[in-house]
Amino acid sequence: MESTKKYWKGLEEVNNTPEFAEHSKNEFAEPIPVEELLEGSGLNSVAPRRDFLKAMGFGLGAVSLAACNVAPVQKSIPYLIKPEEVTPGIPNYYSSSYKGGSILVKTREGRPIKIEGNPSCLINQGGLNGQAQAAVLDLYDISKLKGPLKGGAEYSWDDVDTYVKRQLSKVQASGKVIALVSSTVNSPSTKAVIAEFSSQYPATKQVTVDAVSYSGIIKANEANFGKAVLPQYRFDKASVIVSFGADFLGTWISPTQFTKQYVSNRSMASLNQKKMSRHIQFETGLSMTGTNADSRIAIKPSEEGAAILSLYAELTGTAVNGASLSNNNPASAAIKLTAKELLAAKGSALVISGSNSIATQSVVNAINSFLGSYGTTIDLDNPSYQFAGKDEDLTMLLADMKAGRVGAVLFLDANPVYNHPSAKDFAEALKKVDLTVSFADRADETASLCNVIAPNHNFLEAWGDENAIEGYYTLVQPTINPIYNTRQAELSLLVWANYPNQDYYAFVRSNWEKSVLGLTGKKWDDVLQAGFVALPAKAAGTYSFNGAIDANEVLKQGKALAKDIELHIYESVAVGSGAQANNPLLQEMPDPVSKVTWDNYAAINPKFAESLGIRQFDIVTVKTDKYSVDLPVIHQPGQAQGTVSVAVGYGRTKAGKVGDGVGQNVYPFITYNQGTANFVSTVTVSNTGRRDELALTQTHQTIEGRNIIREATFAEYKKDPAHGSGNNDEKHPTYDLWGKYDQPGHNWVMAIDLNACTGCGACIVACNTENNVPVVGKDEVRRRREMHWIRIDRYYTFQEDGKNLTEEHEIVDMQGSMENVSVVHQPMMCQHCEHAPCETVCPVLATVHSNEGLNHMAYNRCVGTRYCANNCPYKVRRFNWFNYWNDSRFDNYLNNEFTQLVLNPDVTTRSRGVMEKCSMCIQRIQAGKLEAKMDKRVLADGDVKVACQQTCPANAIVFGDANDPNSEVSKALKNERTYYVLEELNVQPGVGYMTKITNTGSQEA
Amino acid sequence: MRNFSSHFRSFLKPLALATVIAISAINLTFAQEAPADSAATAAPAGAAGGGPSGDATAGEALFKSNCGACHAIDKRVLGPALAGINEKQSNEWLHKWIKNSSDLIASGDKDAVAIFEEYNKVAMPGFPQLSDTDVDDILTYIKDAGAKKAAPVAGVAEGAAPADTGVSSFMIIGLIAVVLIAFLVIVVLNRVIGTLERLLVKKEDEIDANDDEEGEGKDRLAVVKKLAKNKKFVFFVVLALLITLGSFGYMDLWNTGVQTGYQPVQPIKFSHQLHAGTNQIECQYCHSGAWKSKNATIPSLNVCMNCHKYVQATDKYNGEISPEIQKIYTALDYNPETQKYGTNTRPIEWVRIHNLPDLAYFNHSQHVKVAGIDCQKCHGPIQEMAEVYQYSPLTMKWCINCHKETEVNSKGNAYYDKVIAAHDQIKKGEKVTAAVLGGLECGKCHY
Repeated sequence: MESTKKYWKGLEEVNNTPEFAEHSKNEFAEPIPVEELLEGSGLNSVAPRRDFLKAMGFGLGAVSLAACNVAPVQKSIPYLIKPEEVTPGIPNYYSSSYKGGSILVKTREGRPIKIEGNPSCLINQGGLNGQAQAAVLDLYDISKLKGPLKGGAEYSWDDVDTYVKRQLSKVQASGKVIALVSSTVNSPSTKAVIAEFSSQYPATKQVTVDAVSYSGIIKANEANFGKAVLPQYRFDKASVIVSFGADFLGTWISPTQFTKQYVSNRSMASLNQKKMSRHIQFETGLSMTGTNADSRIAIKPSEEGAAILSLYAELTGTAVNGASLSNNNPASAAIKLTAKELLAAKGSALVISGSNSIATQSVVNAINSFLGSYGTTIDLDNPSYQFAGKDEDLTMLLADMKAGRVGAVLFLDANPVYNHPSAKDFAEALKKVDLTVSFADRADETASLCNVIAPNHNFLEAWGDENAIEGYYTLVQPTINPIYNTRQAELSLLVWANYPNQDYYAFVRSNWEKSVLGLTGKKWDDVLQAGFVALPAKAAGTYSFNGAIDANEVLKQGKALAKDIELHIYESVAVGSGAQANNPLLQEMPDPVSKVTWDNYAAINPKFAESLGIRQFDIVTVKTDKYSVDLPVIHQPGQAQGTVSVAVGYGRTKAGKVGDGVGQNVYPFITYNQGTANFVSTVTVSNTGRRDELALTQTHQTIEGRNIIREATFAEYKKDPAHGSGNNDEKHPTYDLWGKYDQPGHNWVMAIDLNACTGCGACIVACNTENNVPVVGKDEVRRRREMHWIRIDRYYTFQEDGKNLTEEHEIVDMQGSMENVSVVHQPMMCQHCEHAPCETVCPVLATVHSNEGLNHMAYNRCVGTRYCANNCPYKVRRFNWFNYWNDSRFDNYLNNEFTQLVLNPDVTTRSRGVMEKCSMCIQRIQAGKLEAKMDKRVLADGDVKVACQQTCPANAIVFGDANDPNSEVSKALKNERTYYVLEELNVQPGVGYMTKITNTGSQEA
Repeated sequence: MRNFSSHFRSFLKPLALATVIAISAINLTFAQEAPADSAATAAPAGAAGGGPSGDATAGEALFKSNCGACHAIDKRVLGPALAGINEKQSNEWLHKWIKNSSDLIASGDKDAVAIFEEYNKVAMPGFPQLSDTDVDDILTYIKDAGAKKAAPVAGVAEGAAPADTGVSSFMIIGLIAVVLIAFLVIVVLNRVIGTLERLLVKKEDEIDANDDEEGEGKDRLAVVKKLAKNKKFVFFVVLALLITLGSFGYMDLWNTGVQTGYQPVQPIKFSHQLHAGTNQIECQYCHSGAWKSKNATIPSLNVCMNCHKYVQATDKYNGEISPEIQKIYTALDYNPETQKYGTNTRPIEWVRIHNLPDLAYFNHSQHVKVAGIDCQKCHGPIQEMAEVYQYSPLTMKWCINCHKETEVNSKGNAYYDKVIAAHDQIKKGEKVTAAVLGGLECGKCHY
């Protein structure tokens, strides 16, 4: 049975706006002015004979000059003394660590060019998200400082050291506080450095604060279990997951780790054993996690507390006063059904909340305790140290600063002037501090107000270590000499503390030899090679809730929000908290849900927007009595009525060339409750009358209502695994116009599990860095000229009253309620068709087939007719409208000598006027084959991994040789769920997709 | 006839200039070659000078076979310079040292320990196989050679400098002389022509034979004029010209960007003829990347130093270090006297000869290790090249041709087993070339 659901990619498609109808027919957004040229002054105008002769003469001269046969003089400069381990042309891999997860850094001729996950990493298991993939570009950022600054002028390190030491001693003598403000520090060596520093300057007080804080959970755990920690969640052990606004696949705590765990119960392997978890999401804005939920219920931020309380009441059977969702009947009904499912899954249930309110998290703790989650799905004995910020510490520091009790402030990885709600007060209070030092790598919002900036190394230049979860220690090792005149922050602290041994490598090493290595008996070199040390995990104990539920506080917080339009503040999957805002790869990575690039925006439900009279792209003023911003609006299906969602991480003013002025800063909207920052507020929204077209990648390539998404429910799947895949139907008869290609060697194919893919976009960034895919900027994305070789198509569909909508007119009629949408993500790249339509139309044979099942693209042969893009049924070909890597108009990416160092030397940078597309990482295939040939062995399955597959936290992409019947990909393609997109065209794509399975549970929630 | 004379004069001036230039150019080239030759002949003469004594001859042979690897007479190599050693140490001490230096050091001899310390605690290997007479022979040789070296070397060094400047001043004087002579010749010739002309004019009045001559000239032109009027002839001439020029032009255009024979001047006059040809050094000793990487790699200077720490070609340069080898030392800031590396390094900027465009991916290891192709196949008779030039055209046609013709080196390589078997099933018995396995596909080299 083929699905009868109607899918759409954006509201333009549902509404069938005239622009959409027009654009949907064109591959390129802007028509080429051929007609104008022919009809207008182009051909009809008379070219004077003299002009003609001049042009001819010049042309001839130019051609003969160009033909002068002069060999270009290129210098080749070998090493003076070559390091033993470096062979030009062969990459070296070094283990290191990024945000607590072990990584492998690929370097070529001494420069890092790519970051891969370490497959044996306990946290990420080889997966990496987009931010980690993009981090290698931060190393070469030209907006960073080239050396230390004092009072805005360049100084030498010695001068800075003398000045800071003198000032610190003064502060110490005066009895004032030396505050070290940092984001979470989980590095044992950094902690030891801070201890050294504190012993030299006993007035030191450490203040830990995270831009996006989890202190609500930590405080609640302290109150309820006596453990002030962030627990480790085990989504792999949960059969029923209920999340209240926690975007755990996208941004919440440790998304890559959680994706790995979450998908392990939903991927092909799990489905083959007829096992699948059930995931229910209650949330305000449509988050990436919400798009993956089996059931998603839109609730307002003000209803969240009540919903959690009523779930508690429903589960335990105790009545909680006022815990009703009287205004939201669907949610109320859903809570009752959720309770039933949770009770049935006692011991393997997991309830989480994205709230940072202590009272709310306490209720969640009580629920989990009741469900017996502690010891199974929640581990308090092996806690996570990824976030340890305490919001109230900074509030106290602010008060101290205002009162003049603080003599010195040092900022380590902290930028409160940008990301603290009271940033203005903070900036004012900074003036009262005698010595302000920032270790930021750039003169950011906070650092530019400091007396001294002592720029820190990038993590790829530094020694260090991290301890992200209990018993798991990772090492950071440098992979390049410092690019600018920077110095490791820890070393600066040691120098200022007059520590005798001023070599941070020696410090880290001796610190490890004293502590971690002693516990394991391993040697430093072995650990450095492996990248980490894992101590055996402690047994996860069971904990029972030992606190009080403050229902009144929870309800009070809700009521406070319900005044006006409710503002929901979230972290975007691409840009995150904004620390990496100057990274063009992340700015251009489309939001997994809205597909917006280069901006944040106010997401409003279409129906609600209509009632406010706000069209898409209208600029609205979002306002509280203290702060207001102007933001463009996007009509976001799935958004709760009466709410608006805006992402933090934008509106940087001093991030650098790329990040400055992108979007608006909404950190100041954050409110405080019980000392913790709450990412909600109540605002008014008014139309400014101005408009700003967001750079969307959303409706660029339509599917004309074709059957390319196939799905089934878990119940249907259990009865018939091929359900919904179309594999049971009679196939369309096919005729081959072309002869068959012989593929005696390899046949490279791919299988993508739609049920595993969460849409996170890590593959896009991985592909960009691997294949030198250019960043084109906001304006070009608006013109639909983004260059991503792989995109993730997001299709909405919606269900109303338990029945699927099938007809187009019904969808138009159903405009009314745009809340209950469900979403399918479909990664789409060149399908490497056996009968590729692009190959047939290329007039110069620039794109041809290989005997390994690949569709080759020879850039130097392409003349840019763009016929291939027009003829591609999958719309995956990308045209280079400019020399993006060497054009001053695209100044935000590669157009400087530093960022160009990130290019992969094995892949050509394409020039203007040529077509490009996914090559299935042919450079990796060739390298893998060559390695096998040199070792005189058979190329084993898994030897070649393509960039998107390697980074995918969900293992949704399998790549390999179809000629090997035992390869992973052959097995995957034989799966009953596998279908091919547009297979009725008989282009015989090389990429198979597996149906999306939705676990609607025993009863629809 | 007057005309003739003035024409001739106007011709004469550039002609004279051209002669002057030509003559001076010839002189210049001779002048350049001359010092090189004289240096070449001077060197062996200096080395061979002096009367050998019987003992010293035997000592020289012994010295070369036993000591020469680490010692030189007048300069420090691995061990100290040996000239004057006889005066510094007693004969008895030297005998002990040469036969077994470590014993001497162990015995606590002050001098021995001092030397041991100075040379980074590397003891000289003992030579117990040498008899006392052998040692005496060697010592005599050292004594003689040391005495002789001091005298002639100084003489040559003093003589060489003025000779050099002499050559260059000689060149300038010669040039001036040639110009003067040429000018004189021209003046004289001009005079002669003038006289002759005057004679001719005188005779003109007497003889009336002009008409005949002019008639002959007219006839000659008439043939040309006749031919010029023949349209068919003109057409064919033009056509032939066009075809010739066109085909030459066409052939030439094909060579646009082809740099076969490109032979840039390199910063070091490194000779592959000497290293790869005469000395038979394996290519991959220096170009080690060719075996395992995409790049064959120009060797880093530490590879040069493996040999050139000792090989300094001093015998060819009057005991001085070869200026080309000195360039390595300068680049590394290496002091051959102290054998220490400094910090004032300056990398050597070679000029790349084989400029494959960026759009083409070429991997040496695939061709060298997997296919087992000789370097010479693409790089030509490299062992005969004193200066390397581009041997192959490096065009795509050239690549493709080779891929079409070369059979895949699949023997004993398990990677190919399955591929070849599958291929044989499809096309039985055909030669399995690189092309058959997809070696002509765009994406194999362009990505």
